Amino acid sequence: MNLRQRDRINPHLDLDTVDAAADLMALNMGPQHPSTHGVLRIKLFLDGEVIIKAVPYPGYLHRGVEKLCERLTCVQLTPIFDKHDYVAPMTNEQALNIALERMLGVEVPRRARYMRTILAELQRLASHLLWLGTFTLDIGGTIGGGASLMMYTFREREPILDVFEMLTGARFHYNTHQVGGNRHDIPDGWAAAVKTCMDQLAARMPEYEEQCVTNSVFLMRTKGIGVIETPLALELGLTGPNLRASGVDLDLRRDAPFHAYDEIKVNVAVSNGCDTHARFEVRIAEMYESIRIVRELIDNVPEGPICSLKPVRTVNQIKLPEGKQMYTAIETPRGELGTWLIGGGAEKGACPYRLKIRPPSLHAMAALPYALVGHTVSDVVAVLGSLDPIMGEVDR
Amino acid sequence: MNYISGSWSALSVTLRNFFRPITTQSRLDKPARLPEERAERYRASFALVHDEHGDTACIACKICENICPSSVITVVPGPKAESPNTGKKRAWLEDFTLDLQGCIYCELCVQVCPADAIVMRRVQEIPGYQREDLVLTMDRLYANETAKPHTWANASKLKEMQDPTRGLAPAAEATDASAAAPAAPAAPPAGAP
Ligand code: SF4
Ligand code: SF4
Repeated sequence: MNLRQRDRINPHLDLDTVDAAADLMALNMGPQHPSTHGVLRIKLFLDGEVIIKAVPYPGYLHRGVEKLCERLTCVQLTPIFDKHDYVAPMTNEQALNIALERMLGVEVPRRARYMRTILAELQRLASHLLWLGTFTLDIGGTIGGGASLMMYTFREREPILDVFEMLTGARFHYNTHQVGGNRHDIPDGWAAAVKTCMDQLAARMPEYEEQCVTNSVFLMRTKGIGVIETPLALELGLTGPNLRASGVDLDLRRDAPFHAYDEIKVNVAVSNGCDTHARFEVRIAEMYESIRIVRELIDNVPEGPICSLKPVRTVNQIKLPEGKQMYTAIETPRGELGTWLIGGGAEKGACPYRLKIRPPSLHAMAALPYALVGHTVSDVVAVLGSLDPIMGEVDR
Repeated sequence: MNYISGSWSALSVTLRNFFRPITTQSRLDKPARLPEERAERYRASFALVHDEHGDTACIACKICENICPSSVITVVPGPKAESPNTGKKRAWLEDFTLDLQGCIYCELCVQVCPADAIVMRRVQEIPGYQREDLVLTMDRLYANETAKPHTWANASKLKEMQDPTRGLAPAAEATDASAAAPAAPAAPPAGAP
């Protein structure tokens, strides 16, 4: 069957209309499946090994963060935002702080904007490295070159976390942004450490790419699997690499610049493949692009202050204007992370009245019922891995 | 047939690795990283410190208690009294607890302290057998002061680093604004589809 020309799949398929003699089987994949990137349950209805219908059930990681945001003041929110997308905490912090800054009309110093850009790109690399490792592990295990690749990518991710540790003092939940700028300035020797780490990665990336694309098993397991056509991708609100792999040239770094992206050129990788392999290609190309951006910026960080507001001293320091609403979105490694913010909440406006997060992974989840049907159970991990959802972000 | 060639190419990676220099490090070759080797800013546990006069620095202002996002700090202020060292009247700390079970190591308490009284350490607390072992009481926090190393940060250093006027001499501002845009971007990376 030509997957690209078949009719749109019905995600609400009534199983009674399917051949009654087909002897369907319901199979729960997850919530404790190692390939589900957290805790996701997918209910699969199988005819033999072929998937007839797939229903994802997110929610196992729900922590009520949006409600929590109404009780904490703007100053306290940044460390909480680290915990949504636990593979790319840096960009989460930035999404929150950009939303607050735009609502308050605060300018960020140029040095801080450059630092944020570098941090965002490093985080993209770290996130994509983790994705590459786990994706190839899911897909091939030892035979697809998977397990060894995972060892390598984790090794490459380590120096990136080390430079984060050098800058912020934490390897993961950094809390290095605040309204108006950053909290930690660049320490001595940081630029050199970043450059060494980028040189290492740039030298080794082609090998990792080659390990995958020259492997016929890998190609067979990714090409033509999990097709999400362009109209469907737009309809479901896919963003980021998943959307660009469906042939839509949209990247907020270039199209709605934040940080210092308006001062540099971002080459956006797009693929028309729409399948698992296209998503792989786009992410690999993005990694090369991130290395290039980091190398370009690291020597050009301007001097100056890193924060335009007074540093945090009290808990109620920042007050949001009452009744003002604003949607802000930035491009994270997974796509458009939006923040819908209404000002003027508790503590005389120091807390947001409402803070809604638009996680890119949740929309990637919505593609599963379409992308899985017609494939076999072993393809579920490939498609899921290529969409790169992080359940912490989906469930919040 | 594809499977055989695919498996072979995957296994040849493994085979090649046998003849490469070792890139991973054995735990036996190198001991675990010492706290001193950690980054200067690495933040793990907490300590309360004394000021330059030898008094306990904390003035029980409760700002850290209020700002803590997970509300794990409890400050009990004591009565005001004169300092035996300087003779000035000031507030004293009666009790202080910090519950590491809920702490998210955000460094906000360190940043807001007006007296530079609370700092973070580069050493993790040793795991305990009970929940109570993870509660840092006042005695443990003061004991941590001498058990170094501390991180680089305390409140005044952090605030100085984030000062909005830092490095903004009038002349520097002018050069900053006229600074040239970064070099033109290079050609698109190889492998871009
Ligand atoms: S570092 Fe821990 S104790 Fe200090 S404010 Fe953050 S959560 Fe609270
Ligand atoms: S540690 Fe600092 S912020 Fe906390 S009560 Fe003492 S003086 Fe105040």
